[in-house]
Amino acid sequence: MSYALVVAEVRRGVFEERNLDSFGLSSLLGKEIVLVVPDGPYSFNERLADTIVKVKAGEEVFLNPLNLVDIIEQVMNGRGKPDCIVFTHSSSGMESAPYVAGTFGLPVVTDVSAINKDEGVFYKSYYSDKIFGEFKCTGQGPWVLTVRSGSFKDAAAEKADAAKVEYIEGVAASDKRVFLEYVEEEKTEIDITKAEFLLSVGRGVGNKDEIPTYEELAGMLKATLSGSRPVIDKMWLPKPRQVGTSGKTVKPKVYLAMGISGAFQHIAGMKDSDCIIAINKDAGAPIFQYAHFGVIADMHKVRDKLKDMLKS
Amino acid sequence: MNIVTFTKRVPVTQEEELRITGDGAAVDLSKLPFKVNDWDNYAVEEAVRIVEKVGGSVTAVAMGDAESDEVLRRAIAMGAKDGFLVRIARAIQDPFARAALISNFIKNENVPFDVIFTGVQSEDDQFGSVGGILAALLKLPYSSMVIGIDKVESDHMVIRRELEGGLQERVRISLPCILSIQSGINEPRYVSIMGIRKASKVERKVFQGNAYEAGVGAMIDTVKWVYPPRKKGAMMLSGELDEVCKNLVGILKEKGVYQ
Ligand SMILES: Cc1cc2nc3c(=O)[nH]c(=O)nc-3n(C[C@H](O)[C@H](O)[C@H](O)COP(=O)(O)OP(=O)(O)OC[C@H]3O[C@@H](n4cnc5c(N)ncnc54)[C@H](O)[C@@H]3O)c2cc1C
Ligand SMILES: Nc1ncnc2c1ncn2[C@@H]1O[C@H](COP(=O)(O)O)[C@@H](O)[C@H]1O
Repeated sequence: MSYALVVAEVRRGVFEERNLDSFGLSSLLGKEIVLVVPDGPYSFNERLADTIVKVKAGEEVFLNPLNLVDIIEQVMNGRGKPDCIVFTHSSSGMESAPYVAGTFGLPVVTDVSAINKDEGVFYKSYYSDKIFGEFKCTGQGPWVLTVRSGSFKDAAAEKADAAKVEYIEGVAASDKRVFLEYVEEEKTEIDITKAEFLLSVGRGVGNKDEIPTYEELAGMLKATLSGSRPVIDKMWLPKPRQVGTSGKTVKPKVYLAMGISGAFQHIAGMKDSDCIIAINKDAGAPIFQYAHFGVIADMHKVRDKLKDMLKS
Repeated sequence: MNIVTFTKRVPVTQEEELRITGDGAAVDLSKLPFKVNDWDNYAVEEAVRIVEKVGGSVTAVAMGDAESDEVLRRAIAMGAKDGFLVRIARAIQDPFARAALISNFIKNENVPFDVIFTGVQSEDDQFGSVGGILAALLKLPYSSMVIGIDKVESDHMVIRRELEGGLQERVRISLPCILSIQSGINEPRYVSIMGIRKASKVERKVFQGNAYEAGVGAMIDTVKWVYPPRKKGAMMLSGELDEVCKNLVGILKEKGVYQ
């Protein structure tokens, strides 16, 4: 049988929405879909799969790459090898996919965001989306893929028949890597997800001493200051101010991005804003692809000019 | 604690227009400056901090051309004891082939380690895969996106992994193991030119990569470079800065976020 094995991403009882992209890619490839998921009260559209394999294990056991290779082995037993094994490009898929590829000796392409089915090629981003690499899928499969969130979800198609359900009764859980607990982010007074107007600064801000000048600008504009990951990594702004997949998802009326290149982990956190304005000195910055308005300029000069104008 | 930490030399592309040459055969990187992969910088710092606390040593490993020596000197300036350069004639695109070669190198040369660190991903290829494949090949436990190391014991560590939306998970992992280090785990120390110059007095060992090619076949056959598909794109505000800023404020007023 020619099938795609979709490895579900579930976390704290939720069947993550980005699994739709895994279904979408598999549908585009025209494969039968076997979904593997922990057995639990997850709600999702079961019609998207031909077969659902439910694993009698807790989600923390399932999400552990050391256990997942055993689970995948069991799914393949009797069924034969799939044509591809599809993961989300997220904290869990990015961890498990390479480990699965290494274990079974399979080719792996991560962060797949487009395909050309007729030519049998996958596209993945290089250099923060400035260039795409094209991969021909001619090698020995199955191919291990992680799929960029938002890329294929519209192609997820319901099947004519209800999915067959099968069970995997148990997994030998590894004791070499064990989940202990979840750690929540600290709560802070300023909640950037509630702001109507965000002024967001990226690595282009240059250095820490510039931050107060942007706080000032934000103050004058009655905007809230947020940032991309490098600004938070360097501790120039506190973690709850981070926009992006590993930070907050925001949807303000206006998102004004200054000195942010537009990596997909950032875009995913702000793309649904009503109006996105990007200021960047690089005309080729990917953020201009997602923005409604763009300015090619030195952000510091724009800051100074805006301040002058707002003062008078 | 012996920590091997991988460090890769990557081009600085953020402010550059990248050109594809030879009908998709190559990306022209010839005029670009190079630097250490951001994620690897955090990994080296974390390794050095652990060793400063519990003892042991840090070995930095780079795979690449002779120029990659630069990131090894940098790691030594940060506190690594030594640096190994695995020389390869040209960059290996396939992360599987890269990990397989590294795995052979570690086994053949008996490189001692309790923990191997990689960065979460390379800035240039963004595969995020070498650490995970290497762990599977060496049959070691693995965790990616490590954003905190809370406890270091002789036979295990307690770490925190970063998940989405600010959530983390705490995990106990046995040693030896492989961890991929996420940016922001620490504040990497400043490295001065003087420090790097001093580090060049420490001998770096050079190994010839082709000695470790047994069984290392690329799994990904053809690579062609293309420009990403264009979306609708932004409406660009151009003109004098004065005019641009007036337009900006106009948009803010129209959207009702500024009076
Ligand atoms: C697992 C994982 C999770 C991640 N989560 C997030 C996340 O939640 N949020 C996030 O933001 N990133 C996240 N990232 C990181 C992401 O991949 C990028 O590295 C990051 O978004 C880049 O931030 P940046 O655009 O500020 O910096 P860069 O990519 O370095 O871009 C800086 C930009 O500033 C411009 N610039 C420089 N100087 C000036 C100037 N004077 N005036 C105008 N423009 C200037 C440059 O042209 C460039 O476009 C994550 C990565 C991984 C692997
Ligand atoms: N050529 C290389 N030299 C040294 N380390 C590397 C190399 N390629 C990958 N790595 C390590 O593996 C990590 C992940 O790389 P990648 O899978 O290419 O995204 C990087 O952060 C490095 O730590």
